[in-house]
Formats: sequence, structure tokens, C-alpha cells
Amino acid sequence: MLNDKILGLTTLLDVLLVLLFLIFLVTKKEAVLKAAWLLLYATFAIHTAGILVRWRESYLLGTPHAPLSNLYESLIFYAWCLLLIQIVMRKVLPPLLLLCLCAAALFFMGFSSLWPSTIQPLIPALQSNWLHIHVLTCFLAYAAFAISFFCGIFYFLHLPFMPSKDALEEINYRSVMVGFPMLSAGILTGAVWASYAWGSYWSWDPKESWSLITWIVYAIFLHARYARGWTGRRVAFLSIIGFASVIFTYFGVNFVLSGLHSYAS
Amino acid sequence: MAVTNGRPGSASPNGRSRTERLLTFLGSVRFAIFLLSFIAATSILGTLIKQQASSEEYVSLFSEQGYAVIHIFGLDDVFHSWWFLLALVLFSLNLILCTVNRFTLFLKNRSSEALPKESYLSTLALTFFCQGTRLEEVQRLCRGYRAVLTSQQGVILEKGRFAQYGVFIIHTSILLILLGGLLGLMLGFKGSLNLPVGESADTITLRGGGEAARRSLDFSIRCVDFRVSFYENGQPKEFLSSLEVVENKRVVLKKDVRVNDPLTHRGISFYQATYGTDAAFEFVIGGKSVLLNEGGTFRQGSLALMVVRYAPSVHDFGPGVQVAYLDNGEPKAIWFLRDVPRLREQTIAGIPVKLERLTQQQYTGLEVTSDPGLWFVWCGFFLLMAGLYINFGFYHRRVYLIPRDNGVMVAGTSRKNREGFKREFERLKERIDA
Repeated sequence: MLNDKILGLTTLLDVLLVLLFLIFLVTKKEAVLKAAWLLLYATFAIHTAGILVRWRESYLLGTPHAPLSNLYESLIFYAWCLLLIQIVMRKVLPPLLLLCLCAAALFFMGFSSLWPSTIQPLIPALQSNWLHIHVLTCFLAYAAFAISFFCGIFYFLHLPFMPSKDALEEINYRSVMVGFPMLSAGILTGAVWASYAWGSYWSWDPKESWSLITWIVYAIFLHARYARGWTGRRVAFLSIIGFASVIFTYFGVNFVLSGLHSYAS
Repeated sequence: MAVTNGRPGSASPNGRSRTERLLTFLGSVRFAIFLLSFIAATSILGTLIKQQASSEEYVSLFSEQGYAVIHIFGLDDVFHSWWFLLALVLFSLNLILCTVNRFTLFLKNRSSEALPKESYLSTLALTFFCQGTRLEEVQRLCRGYRAVLTSQQGVILEKGRFAQYGVFIIHTSILLILLGGLLGLMLGFKGSLNLPVGESADTITLRGGGEAARRSLDFSIRCVDFRVSFYENGQPKEFLSSLEVVENKRVVLKKDVRVNDPLTHRGISFYQATYGTDAAFEFVIGGKSVLLNEGGTFRQGSLALMVVRYAPSVHDFGPGVQVAYLDNGEPKAIWFLRDVPRLREQTIAGIPVKLERLTQQQYTGLEVTSDPGLWFVWCGFFLLMAGLYINFGFYHRRVYLIPRDNGVMVAGTSRKNREGFKREFERLKERIDA
């Protein structure tokens, strides 16, 4: 179908993006950076088109729903969020992080190709408008936390070509300041939805528990910084733990544990 | 801190009693981080170890000794164990103390504004001196800033003051959510109801309480119709029950209940959860057709009978239904066999009873809940979002203007968003310089 072709093109553009940012980091030519940014906007637009076309095509198949209903579609959407967060935080992010986020987007596009791309019908539990806002807020949070994760990793590696440790820390905080409210919104919209669909806003389903664990890690992160003045390695360590928790919430729960969210696998 | 071996309540060298020190600890961020870590770590256990399973399952998964350990520590139901609840209670206490402490401090600082000492101002990173201008002119250029204090020695300006309330709103909202959860736990209930089409019920089965845990409702609920539609691949597309609420033999509420669209009456909500079919048995009793399920009873005059059970094959004679009845006050049981004419129609208490046919009866599976704490939780959710928006969308910053002989000294500070404030401060400097 058309959406597969557009999303395939997006994957190729992601490769190109990674290459352009790499070339910039080696040559430091401003023109290359400018071109990379233009390509980033273009890729984002095409990726958006791919998702919209897939949405449209679900109508043609008689199973109308936003493409947010299974693992394949969520991976595509996560890659989209990883591009969007770069545009949202463009004033803050140095080229090295742009490179990493584009590489992450490419990785998730590649990962998605391991799963069947056919548009499946939507089960009754997912037929709700809460689906859109719940998935959007959660995945934007996951994308922001990816930035925090890279900052944490670079803080420990700290090679000469990387931004200064102070700069990394600042970007780290800023990404958590975007991600934390988003994750909170994601959990709350999920709880409201669960209340309508399952009759209980919180049932300690593994996905719910793990999202709470992730939320707690980042709550500790924020309090450690503002109330106890933590800096440096300890904060960098927390941001790595936080993202590990994100990844487990996203994948671990689907692959390792089972529960009410198991349709996402 | 010096170690003292004082009695409870006795003053330590720094003038604080033990109770005070305990309160300080209970309300500290250090304790909050410890409690949050504890809740997170035990939640991990609660997802890795299967919860609320049967003892046989645990023994086969973890061996006899393993199960003993799991059971002693309540790891088979972490989220309802006493220590998890205790951690949540301590966390609430911590949050209350911490928030009250911070708020009192916040108000105290507000009520006693004073210009900071010169030595403090010189430590601020963002300062500049503008020569040959008057303080009033500089103040006019600080757009959006409000004067907190004006004196001969200088002026304190601030912006985004309300952002400071964000954290208090967030903490209060979390307490509201926890309170709502507690209310739901104490006063609410969760249960289920399998309702065959055309029938009504006024009791539900409570969750986790076994056979005996039933709860009666103040009204009865009837399933008028049940419909299910499928996608081409056979997956269910939509299922819905037409429900009626009956009070004093009057229908007071009608609604088609779908997945994601429940019915609520008198604080009790009915959710479409599942559906299925039950075996049903049509009898003709004294010329009248009666449909009974397993466990179903029928009474008419001296005749009282109950369907005990269904068996797909009774001694190779085909499917049969066992029926119990009272014979002059004495309980008796007989089998009705569909494929054996002599046993298909029998006489009980002088009335002919015939097993007409075996059928399937569709039922709708409803989840039934009542949660008086729900509105606290919703208010908490709303406040939490508002608090997060205020806390992360805005920030508080101050600018100090100190008049000097030949100009004005300008210094700025913000606790949050230092990069953003730095840019704003630089723009301010450019504006003043121009």
C-alpha cells in the first residue's frame, strides 16, 4: 500500500539525515548543518504524510482507526516523535544530539520492518478518542527522555568533540522538563481512559506499574536536582536508569510480561 | 550533628527536641526519595512475580519453600499488602509535612522582603553596571517586571511569581489522588455480572471473594438485547448491551452500553467487559414452556424443582440434565435424557415435566464498580496537569537594581531555566545600553 512506500522513503531519508549530521560534525561547515535541518523538516513532513495516508487507508479497508494500534504502528510513531522533539527543542539541541536522535529514529524505523505492516482491525477496547492523546503524550515523553539518556551517556563518555559537561547537564534537565509533564499527561489520560474502558482508573497492570516506576525515577531526578542540589555523575546516572525504565515500559512489558496492554505486541 | 543520649522529647544541643527532629526527617526530601525508591523497587517485584495467583501456581513456579517466602512477605499481592499501603501512607505524610514546611517558609520570605547584601549580589553571575542612568529609567525598561520592594537602597523586581505556586499545586493534587484512591478502597467495590439476554438481576458477584461474595443493588438491571458485530477476519468489531435500570417496577434509565461507554446509576457503573453463551434448558412443565439455566429454579403450587447440572453424555445415552425436587419435603434427584423418550418426559408431583430442548443462551458480561473517591481523583488529575503546566511552563526570576553614585547596578537571578533567563537578561542589557 501507499503508506508502506512513503514510510520506506522516510527510512531512506533518515539514513541521509544521519550521514549529513555526521558530515557536519567532521567538516563543521555551516552549509551542511543548514542542509541537514532542511532535510529534517522535509523528512518530518513526509513521515507525517506517511502516517496520515496509513490512517486514510484504514478507512478504505473498512477498519477506520489512527495508526497507533499495534507494535509496528507504535514504532513508526515513536520515530516520528523523535523527529518532532528535535523541532520542538531546536534551540537547545547541539548537532551531536540531533545526530543521535536521527539515528534513533532510523533504528526504530528499521526495527518496525521486523513486524507485519498490514493494517489490522481495531479491537473494541481501543476504539476511543483517548487513544490519540494517550499515545501522543506518552511517546513525546519517551522521545524527550531519549535526549536525557544521550546526555547521561555522553556525560560519562565525555570525548573531546562532545558538548561541555555543563551544557549536557542543562540539556538533560530541559529534556526532563519536557518529558516529565508529558509522561504525567500520558499516565493521567491513560487512567481516565481505563476508567471508561475497564471500569477502574488504576489496576496495577504491568504497563501501569512500569509507567509509574518510570514516573518515580524522573520525579526523583527533578527533586534530587532542585531540592537536594544533585549534579554531575549522579544525575547522569539517574537519566540512564530512567530511560532503561522507559524502554522496559515500552518493550519489556510487551515481550516479558503480559497484561491488559498485551494487544500492543 | 552531635550525638546525644537524651530522653524522648529532651532538647538536643542545637535546641531542637526529638519530636521536632523526627518531624523534620519525616518531611525531608531525603525521606521522600527513599520512599519513592522503595515504592518503585517493590512495584518492580509486583510486576515480575505473578500477582494474586493460586497457591498451586506459585508452588509449581517457585517450589514449596519459594512460595513460603513469597507468602510471608505478601509478594503474591504486593499492591494490596500492608507494607505497600504503609509506604503510601508514609509518603502522604511526607508530602503533607514537606509541602506545609515549604509553604510556611515561602510565606515567611514573602512577608519579610529585604534587599540582599552586597556580598550576595556580587556572587550572582548575571550583573552589569550601566553608567549615567537613573534607576527609574532602568526600571521602566524592565518590561513585565513588578516591583516587590522599593527603597532608598534599591529596588527588587520580579516576574513569573505565580510559577512558584506550581509545586504546591502539584503536591496537593497528588495528595488528592491518593485520598481518592483510599476512599475508593474503603467505600467502593468491584464486581461482575453475567446477565442472560431478557433477564434481570439485582445482585452482583464481588471480585476476589469467591462464591459467597455477592452484593445486592438498590435497583435491578435488565439486559433487553445484546448485539455483536465482527470484522471480516472474525475479530469482534463492536459489542453492546441494551440495558434497562428498573426501580419499583418502573424503568428509570435505558442505555446501550458499549466497550468504552458505560452506564452509571446511583454511583454504580456498568461496563461492557465480555460476552458468552451459557447452556440453557427448555422444559415444558404442565403444558407451559420454561427456560432454565444450571442452578435455575422453578416453583408452581406444590412443585419446586432446580436444575442441578448438565452432562453432555450420561452413560452413553446422550446429553442429560439432572433435576432436584422436593417429594413431600424430601429432596430427590432425577435425570432427564434428551435421547431416551422414557426419561425425557417424567412426572413430578403429579405434573408432567418434559425436557423440550437443549439450547444456548447468550449472556453479556458486565463489570460493575462503585468508587466514591472518583471525583477526588478527577480533581487531582486536573490540578496535577494545571500544576505541571504552571511549574514547567513558567519560571520565577528577580532583578535587583541598586543605585550608585554614577549609575545603576543591575543583577538578576533565577532558580530555574537559567539559560532562558540568561538570554532574557542579555536582551534587557542591550535594551538598557541602547
